Amino acid sequence: MNAAPAKKGLGPLLLIAPAAVLIGVFLVLPYLNIVVMSFRMPGQGTPYAPGFTFGNYSKFFADSFYIMQVVNTLWIGFLTTFLCLVLGYPVAWQLARGNSAFRALGYALVLSPLLVGIVIRSYGWTILLGNNGIINRTLSSWGLIDGPLPLMYNALGIIIALVHVFLPFMILPIMSAIQGIDPSLESAARSLGASKVAAFRRITLPLSLPGMQAGCILVFVLSLSAYVTPSLIGGLRVKTMAVTVVDALIDTFQWPFGSAMALMLSVTGAVVVIIFGRLTVMKWKA
Amino acid sequence: MSKPFLTLYCLIIYAFLLAPIAVVVIASFNSGAFLTFPPQGFSFRWYVVFFNNEVFMRAIRTSLGIAAITMVISGIIGTMAAMFYVSHAGRLKETVRITMLAPLLLPEVLTAIALLFFVYSVGIGTQTMFGMVVGHVLITLPFVFINVSASMESYDPSWSMAAQSLGAGRFTRFRRIMLPLIKPGVIGGCLFAFIISFDVFTISFLLKGVGMSTLPIQLFDYLRTNFTPEAAAVSTCSIVLTMAVVIISEKVLGLRIHRF
Repeated sequence: MNAAPAKKGLGPLLLIAPAAVLIGVFLVLPYLNIVVMSFRMPGQGTPYAPGFTFGNYSKFFADSFYIMQVVNTLWIGFLTTFLCLVLGYPVAWQLARGNSAFRALGYALVLSPLLVGIVIRSYGWTILLGNNGIINRTLSSWGLIDGPLPLMYNALGIIIALVHVFLPFMILPIMSAIQGIDPSLESAARSLGASKVAAFRRITLPLSLPGMQAGCILVFVLSLSAYVTPSLIGGLRVKTMAVTVVDALIDTFQWPFGSAMALMLSVTGAVVVIIFGRLTVMKWKA
Repeated sequence: MSKPFLTLYCLIIYAFLLAPIAVVVIASFNSGAFLTFPPQGFSFRWYVVFFNNEVFMRAIRTSLGIAAITMVISGIIGTMAAMFYVSHAGRLKETVRITMLAPLLLPEVLTAIALLFFVYSVGIGTQTMFGMVVGHVLITLPFVFINVSASMESYDPSWSMAAQSLGAGRFTRFRRIMLPLIKPGVIGGCLFAFIISFDVFTISFLLKGVGMSTLPIQLFDYLRTNFTPEAAAVSTCSIVLTMAVVIISEKVLGLRIHRF
């Protein structure tokens, strides 16, 4: 339960040594190396050449194509996060406060998609959303539409699939936040004459804000860096920044420029998360 | 929201969560040559095609092999780290925890890119499985750590001290006292590491060597050019395998796997 007094000697340190070396050498150093890579010279036939330059960054800022792509990626991230929050909150509330028989099943249903590989889930959406997909065929067989609705190869399709993939990451933190709220607080508010809606709005909702904040940050970061879903659903027509970066690395071996793009996306994402964090913390302290 | 309305709403969300998975499973039994809905008829035809497709079979073997190696390495390193975290970390506890969870908190695509550059910079490259296995170990380490440290919360250090006073050495104490008690956490963590490794895409995609495609990579490549229900058969087998591991561990072994 509680920590034993730290023993002298190197013995215990040997326990953490392999993990520390692994993370230090294969996570921390490689991340720092991305920064170095982003200042390297582009190579001819090799991923990079000797020497250093700011050229990768000026290339990025000189081309509005890349700027627009960052903006689009952020926009997809915002919408995905917002939809996950709005769609997921009632489910999280039900899982935290609903009756128990339904709860165990619901919990399993929310968790099980996480066990299915991301490629398979995105593939499922291509079957549903494609021009010859289930949704379009059903609608046209009912005579509701003349031509196929454009559900795939655009931002809409990407957002639908991303909401599906990341919804559990929104529901679970909110659920545990609501579970941590003492139900008697709500009863107290009700007994003092607050309506059900008022009790929810004034008690439960503000107290669940930390869970909402955690879920939003998680989903936003995950959707900015998602690769598989945008690349299978967006195809060649709509690319998010993560797809462009990976393609630049794998297909055209532009490692320095790819690094610069990856870093610009990370920095923008981090700035958004920090601003969001500041705003929401102020909100719930006020 | 009123109660029945809320229940209905939740059912719709659950249906939304399950829809793409259900669709893949149903499509795999299609007897037609293309993905049509409703399926043209029931058949195992695409499973036969899949089992006779050497490319996919090789990918499954690669995936299982890498998942097994990853599970062992991650299981050992993660368990050791959890032991340090629970009983020796002292004031560093929070730092150790955040560091151990870092691979989970950082975007997988960035970790994959970082590792790709790194293995090339130090001259290892992607000729061997090394880079891919390191990536898988990094990604699965947090799950082993979470599960083992959770199972250790109920471990009383005085048991270890009692054994020590009776003359048990450090290794005997671990093997005879601690390991049997934390075994559920270790097994749960390892099984989860196996599943995660089996499904990891981005890290494998960037770090794979020539001829070392895992199942998710092979499936992804296939889906970019093909639309036959064979991919659905492959996916369904993969889903069944993962679910089998979870159900066996939770229902048969009675483990409670911590996923977060």
